[in-house]
Amino acid sequence: MLSALDRRHTVAPPGYSRWLIPPAALAIHLCIGQVYATSVYKNSLIAHFDASQTAIGVIFSIAIVMLGLSAAVAGTWVEANGPRKAMFVSACFWAAGFLVGAAGIATKQLWLLYLGYGLLGGIGLGIGYISPVSTLIKWFPDRPGLATGLAIMGFGGGAMVASPLSRQLLSFYDPGYDPANAGSTASGSALVWLFLTLGVGYFLIMMFGVFNVRVPAPDWRPAGFDPARVAAKPMVTTANVSAANAVKTRSFWLLWVVLFCNVTAGIGILEQASPMIQDFFRSGGTSAVTVAAAGGFVGLLSLFNMAGRFVWSSTSDLIGRKPIYLMYLGVGMVLYALLALFGQTATALFVLLACVILSFYGGGFATVPAYLRDLFGTFEVGAIHGRLLTAWSAAGVAGPLIVNAFLDAQGKPGTLTAAAYRPALFTMVGVLAVGFIANLLIRPVPERFHEPADGRDDEGTGARKVGAERSGSR
Amino acid sequence: MRDDVSRGGQTARLWISWLIVSALLGYGVVQTLITAAKLFTS
Repeated sequence: MLSALDRRHTVAPPGYSRWLIPPAALAIHLCIGQVYATSVYKNSLIAHFDASQTAIGVIFSIAIVMLGLSAAVAGTWVEANGPRKAMFVSACFWAAGFLVGAAGIATKQLWLLYLGYGLLGGIGLGIGYISPVSTLIKWFPDRPGLATGLAIMGFGGGAMVASPLSRQLLSFYDPGYDPANAGSTASGSALVWLFLTLGVGYFLIMMFGVFNVRVPAPDWRPAGFDPARVAAKPMVTTANVSAANAVKTRSFWLLWVVLFCNVTAGIGILEQASPMIQDFFRSGGTSAVTVAAAGGFVGLLSLFNMAGRFVWSSTSDLIGRKPIYLMYLGVGMVLYALLALFGQTATALFVLLACVILSFYGGGFATVPAYLRDLFGTFEVGAIHGRLLTAWSAAGVAGPLIVNAFLDAQGKPGTLTAAAYRPALFTMVGVLAVGFIANLLIRPVPERFHEPADGRDDEGTGARKVGAERSGSR
Repeated sequence: MRDDVSRGGQTARLWISWLIVSALLGYGVVQTLITAAKLFTS
């Protein structure tokens, strides 16, 4: 039955609109982006299981670690089997994660939440995240940044959808729950129904993506697209590099460092956003920024994080991948330094600086698939992307660790001021400087890593001919 | 799977696809804007 989902059965017929692919990709990313909205029901889970913050926080950590691992391990499988099967498998794992999690909540078995949402859901996350990327790049050879920006914007948008939706669903299932009151927690049965609703709802939306996604025919090109124009750009290869060979190249690891540094710096702010704005404007023990206003600041950051994914990734199609990462990292360094030195002078300045920084954080995520396409070609770009996402997992540990270690040394939460953040922020300037240098050192991949120009194809069926043609034109 | 694409069917599918994702994203953006407004009103 799964063979109906195979790549060879999903080749688009002539005349199929490529503009059906971004909504298919968005259908996946909007659903799996829910992972960043788990804080909404965290306190309710703590109360239900009578567990510690750490014991519940581990669920999210397992999911993110599994995201990185499954994207890295399953990348080649995703490339070989095509986006439709990958999206279907992702939908099954993601929905199963919620259903097993619901069973765990209903039976008060915390390990079932670890197994369900953490392990199974995490696998769905990793496969789902990379599943549409190489397909989008093949459909949009003329605008790969725009295409991947659209999809990865969905991941940022997913949390923005899931947070209010989860609050409203919990209020619906448990009328005694007040989302406006931070101390209020939802009942166990409301949590079970929330997980069941999200599991079934997300499965249906993801199946919509499965239904619509197609791979382009091997000889397909967008109207008016001239591959020679791509070949003319200095940092854009016309050859193809396999995932196995890509990890042997210096450029892959330099790009790994670039992504790691960009994400580490961004997570530093994102993870600490709410207490950070209150601490920056604290004098005499009280903050001028209320808890509600701090929540508004977090919302604004989410918007800029999402918008940056689309705007900056699309801009990279015009100015090039290397220059835009020089901007993310170089301008990011200046913004971090300004935040550390002058952030406390005015709320508007603080908010503006943090929002632009977060837009660069999102832009870094969204532009990286197109950067990989430029360096390694389209042959196994999804699998290479999967391997690169281990940088995200590593940064997810390093970013909060750096910020929290510095803040712990400065004093207790609720007593900190802007000065307490300076060591952490200047460390982030250093982290960005490392990424900036790594980006400068990225060079085109040497020819010895290129795939042979004849007899193989991008799609496992015939598209490597395109790679061969492009190699020839290089 | 390589069936011909009917122009009318594809247009409908395009509209429905973009409407669904726009509705989802729009809901998220509006709800987040309501939250973000508290930064300026609180």
